[in-house]
Amino acid sequence: MKLELIDYLIIAIYFVFVIGIGFLLKRQVKSANDFLMSNRNIPLWITSLAFISANLGAQEVLGMAANGAKYGLYTVHFYWLGAALAMIFLGVFMMPFYYGSKARSVPEYLKLRFDEKTRTFNAFGFAAMTVFSSGVSLYALAMLMEVILGWNFDLSIWVAALVVFVYIFMGGLTSAVYNEVLQFFLIVLGIAPLVFLGLYKVGGWEGIVANVQDYKLHVWKGLDDPSHNPMGVDAFSMVFGLGFVLAFGYWCTDFLVVQRAMISKNLSDAQKTPIIAAIPKILMPMIVILPGIIMLALQNKFSGFELPVTANGDANYNMVLPILLQKLYPNGILGVGITALIASFMSGMAGNVTAFNTVWTFDIYQSHIKKNGSEKHYYYVGKIATVAGILISIMTAYVARGFNNIMDLLQLVFSFVNAPLFATFFLGMFWKRTTGHGAFWGLICGTATATMTHGLTVAEGKGGWIANTHEYFSGTSQAFNIAWISFIVCVIVTIAISLVTKPKPEEELVGLVYSLTPKQTDSNKIWYKNPLWMGVGVLLVTIIFNIIFF
Amino acid sequence: MNKLYDLRIVIGIFFLIIGFLLMGYAFLSDGSLEENNKINLYCGLLFSSFGLLMLLLKTKRKKNN
Repeated sequence: MKLELIDYLIIAIYFVFVIGIGFLLKRQVKSANDFLMSNRNIPLWITSLAFISANLGAQEVLGMAANGAKYGLYTVHFYWLGAALAMIFLGVFMMPFYYGSKARSVPEYLKLRFDEKTRTFNAFGFAAMTVFSSGVSLYALAMLMEVILGWNFDLSIWVAALVVFVYIFMGGLTSAVYNEVLQFFLIVLGIAPLVFLGLYKVGGWEGIVANVQDYKLHVWKGLDDPSHNPMGVDAFSMVFGLGFVLAFGYWCTDFLVVQRAMISKNLSDAQKTPIIAAIPKILMPMIVILPGIIMLALQNKFSGFELPVTANGDANYNMVLPILLQKLYPNGILGVGITALIASFMSGMAGNVTAFNTVWTFDIYQSHIKKNGSEKHYYYVGKIATVAGILISIMTAYVARGFNNIMDLLQLVFSFVNAPLFATFFLGMFWKRTTGHGAFWGLICGTATATMTHGLTVAEGKGGWIANTHEYFSGTSQAFNIAWISFIVCVIVTIAISLVTKPKPEEELVGLVYSLTPKQTDSNKIWYKNPLWMGVGVLLVTIIFNIIFF
Repeated sequence: MNKLYDLRIVIGIFFLIIGFLLMGYAFLSDGSLEENNKINLYCGLLFSSFGLLMLLLKTKRKKNN
């Protein structure tokens, strides 16, 4: 792929704008509250788009196009089943507790609802995961630029890290959120013409139907048996593992995305943020998954669209989007496409760094190192945490380059920590008898169960490091099953220990638990502006999509 | 300067610039690459229209206020 002056000019203009946003906002950032929480003053349309954009990192953009080619339309389950319902649940049922409790972060909610040790366990795990994910984003960006454009690996890492650092350091969370919205539009508008050109070349949807195997063009049809669909998953693990445990665990408890709703101007906007974000989310497969399916049709119809192979001899599906850019985009719009890819990497990195600096400052530093510092003190701690977060990300990127297996292992460990998390929040919010000891040991046992299940089962040659007691059809199926098993164990242990330990007094749980919190009345509001009815509308559209592509 | 704090202005200006660049590039490029020029031209029109829309949204909101 060869870029020309016009392409470099577009990339340079993008860099000028993202850094410019940081400088413009610099004057407005004067306290820790401004820097780490945007003073809870961000308009609804921005929080909604930032909510979805924080999740629109490189793994999403490149990874979903790759999954589209590998698994076909079954990939849309990550959106229609694995996102929409959880986002609506967050908005309607959970946001009142996060926002209403005045917690500054998700771990802080755990402190208010349970105790310090549960918060600390979650805060350390989350902080480590965010800087690690940020480093992986950086590594993936530099690798991709090296492979497709021949750019220097070190230069790509340092330039991207410097740009992200400058705009976060200047404008804090507001700058990251503003840039996420710009990045959202750039990713959508930069990749949409690619989808249009690809569809035009293969002869529209009819061309896809004629050139792609039928079993890759359904959403539910092959889920009766793992051997009937390319993902190798059965309906139960898809619905309960992905649709419930993993989806709710990510969208309802991951501070990286929840933080975008928590900086809304008021509770009503905070509730609407994930619900409005669910609208572009259910349409996003057209931008991120369809290119993978178009690639399959192009491969069948034309020559020259072959994917490179990995060291194992398998097709390298991660190259789907770069190859489509190379083949379908001329110079000019190619610069926009490459900028969209860079934007997705930077968006993922900035989201992680801003979540890290908040959790570090409020949940680790203020909680364990200096309790009664001034607002200015925590402002500087937040800034130093930003520097540290970026530097650790750079280090992680270099570690990833040298020891790819360590990164896979770390990713696996973090997925074990995340799997049971929703059980803790769900019980905490909806069962007033849940105790801090129950929550803490439930989390520990859930994480241990996830690890053990991986050690006792095998899929695609992975896992089974204790014994091989069961073989799953695919790695995806193994991950979905690990999730629901650890969830169930977390629920059982949390309930059992809660029943034999002393709960918090009810007066301390007002605003934190559903049954003890006064219900809001929306009598003055127009019905379609009510978060519940908005959620029902989005859900109906999602169901219709599922029926159309059954 | 305060005007620039509104994100719609920033996004509007960004896409207007990119749109005009693509259109300009399409007009100035070698005519033998007609298909490529058309892609850049249409994308340029799409981007500048979107940029304009963002700016108009900002203006409309200001009038309503």
